[in-house]
Amino acid sequence: MMARRFQSRAWYRFSAEPMAVLGLVLLAAITLAAILAPFVTPFPEHASSFVDFRNMSQPPSASHWFGTDLVGRDVLTRVVYGYRISLTVGIVVLGLAVPLGVTLGMIAGYAGGRLGAVIMRITDVFLAIPALVLAMAVLGVLDRTLINGLIALAVLWWPWYTRMVYNQTRAIRNEGYVVAAQVVGASHSWVLFGEILPNLVPSILTKFTLDLGFVILVASALSFLGLGVEPPTPDLGSMVAEGAGYLPDMWWMPVFPGLAILLVVLAFNLVGDGLRSMFGDGM
Amino acid sequence: MTILGRSIQATASAVLLASLAAAPAVAQTVLTLDEHAIGEIDPAKATDYADSILFYNLYDTLVIPEAGGTEILPHLAESWSIDGTTYTFTLRDDVRFLSGEVMEAEDVVFSLERMIALGQGFSSLFGGVIESVEAPDPQTVAITLSGPYAPFLGSLVRLAVVDKDTVMANLEDGDYGEMGDYGQAFLSTTSAGTGAYSIDSHDPQNLTVMAKNDEYFLGVPEAAPDIVRLQYSIEPATLRALITRGELDIGDQWMAPEIKAAVAATDGVGLGTEAGISSFYLKLNNQRAPLDDVHCRRAFAHAFDYESILELTQITDDIAFGRPAHGPLPLGLLGADEGIPTGRFDLDAARAELDLCQYDAGDFQIQLNWVAGNPIQERIQLMMQLNLGQLGFDTTITTTPWAMFTELASSAERTPHVSPVNFILTTPDPDSMLYTMYHSDAAGTWASVDWVMSDEVDRMIEAGRTETDPEARAQIYRELGQKLVEDQVSIFAYELVGVFPIRDVVHVPALQEAGQTYSVQGMNFMFREMQMQ
Repeated sequence: MMARRFQSRAWYRFSAEPMAVLGLVLLAAITLAAILAPFVTPFPEHASSFVDFRNMSQPPSASHWFGTDLVGRDVLTRVVYGYRISLTVGIVVLGLAVPLGVTLGMIAGYAGGRLGAVIMRITDVFLAIPALVLAMAVLGVLDRTLINGLIALAVLWWPWYTRMVYNQTRAIRNEGYVVAAQVVGASHSWVLFGEILPNLVPSILTKFTLDLGFVILVASALSFLGLGVEPPTPDLGSMVAEGAGYLPDMWWMPVFPGLAILLVVLAFNLVGDGLRSMFGDGM
Repeated sequence: MTILGRSIQATASAVLLASLAAAPAVAQTVLTLDEHAIGEIDPAKATDYADSILFYNLYDTLVIPEAGGTEILPHLAESWSIDGTTYTFTLRDDVRFLSGEVMEAEDVVFSLERMIALGQGFSSLFGGVIESVEAPDPQTVAITLSGPYAPFLGSLVRLAVVDKDTVMANLEDGDYGEMGDYGQAFLSTTSAGTGAYSIDSHDPQNLTVMAKNDEYFLGVPEAAPDIVRLQYSIEPATLRALITRGELDIGDQWMAPEIKAAVAATDGVGLGTEAGISSFYLKLNNQRAPLDDVHCRRAFAHAFDYESILELTQITDDIAFGRPAHGPLPLGLLGADEGIPTGRFDLDAARAELDLCQYDAGDFQIQLNWVAGNPIQERIQLMMQLNLGQLGFDTTITTTPWAMFTELASSAERTPHVSPVNFILTTPDPDSMLYTMYHSDAAGTWASVDWVMSDEVDRMIEAGRTETDPEARAQIYRELGQKLVEDQVSIFAYELVGVFPIRDVVHVPALQEAGQTYSVQGMNFMFREMQMQ
């Protein structure tokens, strides 16, 4: 009963922000399009190995809304398929980085002392290295595959969660209910995951949503630099990179994938902002 | 770059103002062009296209090829005689270096010894071939070879004569005993030659500025540009904008065809071509399974869509950067053979060859590589990926920067299965192409990523080198060409035609007039032959 009332109040706050709702709608549309790509795109075969030199470099037209690329593939099709990679990258990277970062942050904040200091100094070291440089270094050592790209991004993302969670854990570890749980003999892992973690969920979720957009952006930057997905898999960042050399004559090649990146990052940000006001301020 | 460009323009204007004040009011003409970095100005180290452009403007050679042909003509050498394996050159007596010193035989001896000692650039043309080089008098150079070597005269277009006294006065510490660093530090920052142009400033990653040498022994025509600015590695979109805005006069041949077509469509820009001196290959690694089996190689060659790719090379209705290839040598070269059929795209024939191949397609992950900055190669590899996929091969397309490409090329195990290579003639002799790409002793470079390693091919290349009768040589090369095609060592994709956007402010006879092309890379950019309009 209490829970439902909280939910409906939260949704009320969220839906009171038209931009957040717009973001949610955008996000739903993008996700659906990506999942249903084989059915909603005009030329699904263009997303895999396909070459048609007779139709290459065509400007937008009725049959190719976003034009065609250098080997005659439909840009619209490849943009929609490109979202598959983008969304996967975002979810997998944060799926790896968030549990790691949150766990370390809670341990450091809860334990404090020498253990906490060690964890936080390691975190600081990672935070001190520029993100792109770190990712490029990881990809320089490993093969340039998608999996390694995801690892590279995860490596540079967890410290932000550690730092945020560390601060919040320190703030609440002396709260009455935490102390009470300790007094009645709860184990450390129960205190961490049963008492502290639920209180961190709103801020983690908000940051997670905002970060999804940033991860996609950084992943695009990496593939723009040539460190991304292998061809012929469509990837928005690589499409922008490849098309940039053909400006301004073949503007459709970089512009549409670029707009697609903009759109998904914007959608995640709008939803993230909505979540922030939904959970109240203090973040 | 823009700031640098402006400051140079400012300097040029200052010079202009000064000359206006001085008296005969003549505006300086400035030619700006671009190539890929880096620009190596030491003539003993020159290898790339940019290096070659610098080479033929800053230095001169004993001989040069005729425009539009392969005959070797006198240049710094007035005449020569051949007695067995001894070549005796009589030098001109009216040639001066930038220092004012007269060019003499000892400079030629020094230049040749320096090139062999450094062992870089095209030194393999001379190393191990020359027994002795002497200067019996200031006007005579006698070079004795260790055996018959037919390409020798043609190779001399790669021997630049440097000013011995000036280099010796600028030696720094180095590994060459009394020769110190052999003038490497000095010659990497400035020129010490007889060339029609001299170095004003040089930044190998960015920009080289050259000025006309009024004392040039052949004279530099009034119409030739007074100042030449050679810029390196400009972003494609920037390059396109610079040409259409009139800030760059000659673009490079590596620009994408769409961009060349776009700039050629603007007023005041045309296209120049350099045909018959280069070829494009998709090189197959002959040492790596499954391509160590000739049948698998033939299957790959049948999976290449020759006609579509030739369509792809079409830039305008009448200009394309590719034309059908008949075996390894571009037509027009000694031993090139129009009788060798062009490749044929036929997936059924490919499947038939695959059946004869000892390997199964499904067992391999084929690496298709392309060189960063050559987008056309990516398109070709995407086409190969599609067609090889239909034969059952699993493929990955990778892109490597040029430095990485040459690094991988040093070992057969690391060389990708399929590598694209543009080869542009470095001397007018076919040996420079065949030896560099196919002889076992030359293996391990970017040019030999097919790793042929065949005793029989080696023997034929050597026979071509030692045979002095041109007709007999041509016959050897025709047979070699047929064998290389029979063994399908590479995919002979198309003959490369260099296509350069050229603004109307300059006329380049070697690229814009029929029959004026020199068959050596870089030589078509001799600025002294260009005419500013």
